[in-house]
Amino acid sequence: MSMNFSEFKKLIGADPWNRDPGTLRARNSAPEFEAAAAEAEAFEEKLQSALHIQPPADLLEGIKGISREIESIQPAKQRSWMPLALAASLLIAVGAVGMVWKQSRQWDNVEAYLADHYSHDGDALVAQATDIVSEQDVVKIMTSLNASADTQLAGRIKFIKFCPTPEGRGAHMVVSTDQGPMTIIFMPKTQVTDGEFVNFDQMHAFLINLEHGSAAIIGKQSQAVESMEAVIRESLRTGLVGA
Amino acid sequence: MSSDKERTSRFNELAEAYSTDLYRYAMWICHNDALAKDLVQETFLRAWRALDSLKDVGAAKSWLITILRREYARTFERKVPKFTDVDKVVVVDNDELGPDERTERDFLRKGIMKLDPKYRDPLLLQVVFGHSCEEISEQLGISKSAVMTQLFRAREKLKTQLQKDGVTGNVHELF
Repeated sequence: MSMNFSEFKKLIGADPWNRDPGTLRARNSAPEFEAAAAEAEAFEEKLQSALHIQPPADLLEGIKGISREIESIQPAKQRSWMPLALAASLLIAVGAVGMVWKQSRQWDNVEAYLADHYSHDGDALVAQATDIVSEQDVVKIMTSLNASADTQLAGRIKFIKFCPTPEGRGAHMVVSTDQGPMTIIFMPKTQVTDGEFVNFDQMHAFLINLEHGSAAIIGKQSQAVESMEAVIRESLRTGLVGA
Repeated sequence: MSSDKERTSRFNELAEAYSTDLYRYAMWICHNDALAKDLVQETFLRAWRALDSLKDVGAAKSWLITILRREYARTFERKVPKFTDVDKVVVVDNDELGPDERTERDFLRKGIMKLDPKYRDPLLLQVVFGHSCEEISEQLGISKSAVMTQLFRAREKLKTQLQKDGVTGNVHELF
């Protein structure tokens, strides 16, 4: 049975490059079919041109860098696969080193603290942070710091852990942003110069005073770290109990 | 399991083959170049981690699209800014189109951005990735006839939008 014009237009409207025998036969059956097919193909070329946008020049290299970055942190992962006794002794050693590192730090100012702390494992944690962490993990850490993070922030957190701060314990987070991952350091008992930028190594940080304590948003120099200010101010609630 | 070198080589081949189309797809679904870049990088990060589970190289394109769509739905969709001016989000191409053709293309881009996702998604899979209707059906989990209807309607809507925008020329003559 031959195809009518309406059916034919629907077929080529769904797939202008349709070359199945029935469609080809219909196309060649009458001038109006032929013209409709040619017009559909002309429109398709315009559509392809419109959709054809150039990716950023550094996209491919950035993606290839993923494998290099992950490979560079593999040795740390492989240590966890070593025999139990070796792992235990390593753990003790690492713990001891960590405690020494933590206790030996007498930072003169927040800038020195951030540079020191970030150089310790900041980049490695950004590279490792791939999945959004569970809300439970966020709540557990935030609650123990007398704080909370609403979903606007919690939904972005790809890594969270306790960390030392100039005054007691705080939280080290890696968050997803529209400019790539950034690091947030929450310092529950430390005050900073609100709105100040701090530069160190290839990074910079934007400091925010919160109702209780403060936060530093850390990113690469190319990232507008201050763009996360509103999210942090709105979402990170501090001093929940006994404030 | 393949050696690290082979794994890296396999990953880089995927990146070279599909990163551009994935970026285009991401751009058209999230309308934000920085977010699209982030989304593609997240997609490849997940792909790297799960690379050993990809047994059939021929399925790589669909596999990557699935990862990207899931990642978008899971962590990006709710953060995407509202529709903004197409001129601000689409990279300006230095091609050789004349003024009229550029205008027509810009109108078309605006129309694509305004498309409902149910029409936009199959259209992008078809035009950007060259998926067949069967492949789109599998990718989106809808019937082939529904895919064909949505593709037809997507194009009709774009043509109607162009007509409303007053674009003349070949496209206008279609109506």
